[in-house]
Amino acid sequence: MSETKYLETHEWYIVDGDNVTVGISDYAQGELGDIVFVTLPEVGQEFSKGDAIVEVEATKTVAEAYAPMNCVITEVNSTLETEPELINNDPVGEGWMIKAEIKEMDDSGMSYQQYESFIS
Amino acid sequence: MSESKTTSLYDFHLSKNAKVIDFAGWSMPFSYDGTLKEHHYVRESAGYFDVSHMGRLRLNYSQIEDINFLICSDLKNISNTKALYSIFTSEDGTAIDDVIFWKFEDDLILICNASNTNKIKTHLDIHSINYEDLTTTTDLIAIQGKNAIDIVSNIMTVPEKFSTSKEGKYVYARTGYTGEDGLEVMLDTNDTLGFVSELEAKGVKPCGLGSRDTLRLEASLPLYGFELTDDISPIEAGLKWTVTNKDDYLGKDVIDYQIESKEHKHLKRFKLNAKQIARTGTICTSDGVEGIVTSGNISPILGYPIGFVLFKSNPADDLVEFDIRGNLVEGNLLYKRFLS
Repeated sequence: MSETKYLETHEWYIVDGDNVTVGISDYAQGELGDIVFVTLPEVGQEFSKGDAIVEVEATKTVAEAYAPMNCVITEVNSTLETEPELINNDPVGEGWMIKAEIKEMDDSGMSYQQYESFIS
Repeated sequence: MSESKTTSLYDFHLSKNAKVIDFAGWSMPFSYDGTLKEHHYVRESAGYFDVSHMGRLRLNYSQIEDINFLICSDLKNISNTKALYSIFTSEDGTAIDDVIFWKFEDDLILICNASNTNKIKTHLDIHSINYEDLTTTTDLIAIQGKNAIDIVSNIMTVPEKFSTSKEGKYVYARTGYTGEDGLEVMLDTNDTLGFVSELEAKGVKPCGLGSRDTLRLEASLPLYGFELTDDISPIEAGLKWTVTNKDDYLGKDVIDYQIESKEHKHLKRFKLNAKQIARTGTICTSDGVEGIVTSGNISPILGYPIGFVLFKSNPADDLVEFDIRGNLVEGNLLYKRFLS
């Protein structure tokens, strides 16, 4: 499994062979405040890099999480439908959002160190 | 842009890891432990809010006739120990601001929205009403919640609901903006840190403007800039109960006409039959009548999205269809308050 990478739009992703797992960063969940609802995609849905894959409703605002690369959804974290607060409590762990099969590899995300200096 | 103003508790808020936002030119705590947790502190126990950004003006009692001409409620004939929610109306009957008056034997305290303090001061100036601005020399702390009265009764004598009191360093009223019982306490900025430390020692939790907003929405209370604006009258906002002024006042003709004709915009409460939130600006239709959401959020107690919507005229049906970012979501208008 490769290292966790971050996008300027505050998603994280981890590439594992042909598959990628995506969520939002700790910084993003902190900025959003309490997350109360997520709209997850369907398994089999295809996304291009930059497409909105998940809609995140928080008490403060609504935000979208974008696809880090071209991919097809293979699994969604359906626990988030009843426990969206997992994203607040453990954004880069239990709060993962989707797993997908990579259609076109694009590993251009930032390392954690780069992302940290990007948000500060 | 001028630098953001801060209250005397600013460093204290930072020491408690508050998330700070800019609100009407003030750097104010948005949340400490999270909006939902703070919401539940108030519904289940007690929380306190630093609302010192709100404007506080002391008015001389001798000017009460002139003040009464600028608001839609009867401030003049209520007793000298009462707190009164009212609305400054324009010539067109629309809301300049919604405010609280604290009435005492010798003076009146006017509490207005932070975003409107300058507007209200100018309005009073135009009508030759003198005031002393206490906004920066005092603080305002709201203690709200199921157990709030029990707790603060150990610190000061609690008056009847919607009544005012002065005791030692505290000037206060049994009012609030959360739907729960509580006090709003004005005190000298030098005394505030000691006061909130005493509240914390008694288990009252700090709450930010985030939960203040979810609490007031769930309590069906309007927020100026959203449910009330300089384009919305008290009647349109469903606040006919505030119109108690028997004398002539600014905008009276328009307001009387609206009451009689019912030809005006209509603010309604709604709930959604889905999980998405219909936020401010969301367009909807009911029975062919177009509306726009003024405020919307999840109700932490009810567990579904609620809000206020302003219709161009009164829709005959209670079914509403909201266009939430391209998806049509159904909701219902509610004729009772969100929380019973």
